Amino acid sequence: MLLFLGMAFSLGILIPGKFSLKLQYDGDQVLHIVPETLQQVQHLQHLCSTLLLDLWKPLLPEDIRAGEDLHIRVPAPLVQEVKDSLDQHTISYKILIHDVQELVDQSTPETSSQKQIPESYSYTQYHPMEEIYTWMAQIQKNNSELVTQHYLGETVENRTIYYLQISQPSDKTKKIIWMDCGIHAREWISPAFCQWFVKEILQNYESDPKIRKFLQNIDLYILPVLNIDGYIYSWETARLWRKNRSPHMNGTCYGTDLNRNFNSSWGTLGVSYNCSSEIFCGTGPESEPETRAVVQLIERKKSDILCYLTIHSYGQYILTPYGSTTEPPSNNEELMRVAQTAAAALTEKYGTSYEVGPTSLILYSNSGSSRDWARMIGIPFSYTFELRDKGTYGFVLPADQIQPTCEETMLAVTAIIDYVDQKYFPGGATMLTSGSLGLSLCLTAVLTLIVT
Amino acid sequence: MPGLRAALPAALLLLSSFPPAAAERLPWPQVPGVMHPLNPSHREAVWAAWTALHYINSHEASPSRPLALHKVVKAAAKMIPRLGWKYYVHCTTEGYIHGENAGSCFATVLYLKKSPPVVHGKCVHAQNKKQIQEEDHRFYEYLQHQKKPITANYIPDSNGNIAHDHLQLWGLAIVGSSYIMWKQSTEHTGYLLAQVSSVKQQIRKDNAVAFKFIVLLHEIPTQQMNVCHMYLVWTLGHPIRVKYSCAPDNHGLEDGSGQDSGSAAGTSHETKGNF
Repeated sequence: MLLFLGMAFSLGILIPGKFSLKLQYDGDQVLHIVPETLQQVQHLQHLCSTLLLDLWKPLLPEDIRAGEDLHIRVPAPLVQEVKDSLDQHTISYKILIHDVQELVDQSTPETSSQKQIPESYSYTQYHPMEEIYTWMAQIQKNNSELVTQHYLGETVENRTIYYLQISQPSDKTKKIIWMDCGIHAREWISPAFCQWFVKEILQNYESDPKIRKFLQNIDLYILPVLNIDGYIYSWETARLWRKNRSPHMNGTCYGTDLNRNFNSSWGTLGVSYNCSSEIFCGTGPESEPETRAVVQLIERKKSDILCYLTIHSYGQYILTPYGSTTEPPSNNEELMRVAQTAAAALTEKYGTSYEVGPTSLILYSNSGSSRDWARMIGIPFSYTFELRDKGTYGFVLPADQIQPTCEETMLAVTAIIDYVDQKYFPGGATMLTSGSLGLSLCLTAVLTLIVT
Repeated sequence: MPGLRAALPAALLLLSSFPPAAAERLPWPQVPGVMHPLNPSHREAVWAAWTALHYINSHEASPSRPLALHKVVKAAAKMIPRLGWKYYVHCTTEGYIHGENAGSCFATVLYLKKSPPVVHGKCVHAQNKKQIQEEDHRFYEYLQHQKKPITANYIPDSNGNIAHDHLQLWGLAIVGSSYIMWKQSTEHTGYLLAQVSSVKQQIRKDNAVAFKFIVLLHEIPTQQMNVCHMYLVWTLGHPIRVKYSCAPDNHGLEDGSGQDSGSAAGTSHETKGNF
């Protein structure tokens, strides 16, 4: 059943009653292969590229590895040719699905008004909220061992806010790293990054030992869009909208700035008490349901949360607490050091330079930010990221910059995660480079021997 | 702190909307005549640099190649008694449109209480000046020869795209908007062009090229979007002439229509000279 669902999503089929695609996958087969040698891997990659075969697992030919599962859908006309080729190269295979269309027919879904799920989700485009909702459900379905979608709360306009929990199955209680995107509606690169981040973690989970290492002890909680109403409003009505959509003054004025609404010196600096302002802090701390949704969860789990990250744009900053005072937090030196390491890792990718420092000094004073609040309730590492650019495109960052922005930001975020992981879970293999991998494995083995 | 941009009566009304002004103090001792070095990544230095570039873009730079701030290299500030704070900024620049290295500028910015900042700037260009002049010339002639007025909306569009044909139009909007942004800048409030909402060419009988723009200016730190109606006249070889009227975008409407927000904060200005 799971395989079918995975397949259905992979094929992007949604067959409404009348518009039958009955013959589209007739006779197609899905083959399961475990390549044994590099030569076999190369031949399979060649086959996939030249015949344009549909890779179900992994997603890209370059991710085909010896010793790892390979699932390919072969169109009916090519089945014999592919099997002959595999036989010629003594590559053994099993037939996972004898007739793809048959399976599809067996469980034709009911007519639904849902948009057609595309065969592969584009992470280099901006997506409207409907597509992000679908994406979250799909990500959970396709990665159910690692990902669960959770209810966080509801927006002013009664839309459900979900976050994704990425968690390696284990009986250990884990610590948590939280990341939220899309507090401000117009900062579209922010939700794009959260989606990219999830995709990268899941795609590289099996091949990247660093990821598996930190997931041993840390769960990732990712909230792709917090200010859903605002985000939708920026797609449908006003691209440069910032706040949420709470009505005030008998519906003549809308929106609270969620990042001024948290209970961190609320209402004192860098805010307005007037709804018509973009930095209106709301009618009271946590007056907004979106704020309360985040607060409730984080309060509940705060003893396990090691790091709070919140993603914004634009400006190219990694901001440390506080915005509401120039008085630094107790661990300021460490916060700065880690942020500088993260910024350096980011710069290495494309030369993009980020400034690091407390909001109150680098940017401007402001109270009620989520990042200040997280630090104040005791979460030791709390950062605001302001992604690309520095103002030439600003909020309307071109879609062709999504990929480089996400790639470089990924390096910064993983640098922070790695630091937190090594700080709270020291010892064991620190697999920073493949060079040190062997050495650290030996060390681990030796340590294990000594300890046991 | 949120800039008190409104006219005085409206400002009195608005004052009650803002919490006590705690943070308009500058973070260094205010001894007149002494040069205080500034951290080049801190906001005072960065905004002074942008103020200078806005001035330079509107008075000296070309519509084909407006400048953007790359990085502040060094900055300092000095209090001039009875006048205000004067900032000294050395920054590197990049091409606004294509991001190429554009050289560097040294500028002084004197923020006055009741007038636009006084800027003196000198730039060293990494780009070929002759080539830029030729680009401007070609663009100018192209615009002059239009029989049908050029119109466009949303540059960049929601996805950040700009049609190749619209790049220089964007440049022209940047130059015109820079004039507005320079005039409105203060020590505590800065501006950047967020988006060109619409542009409509006005065909003229004289040699000049004219456009009606609606541009959205992002105001920092208030985060306000200001909708500015800008009438721009460009005569090649002469400074650009700008007439403008701005108001905060309170309804989330980008076309600037329906400015009945009740806020009195509309400001109308023109450059000297005939239109």
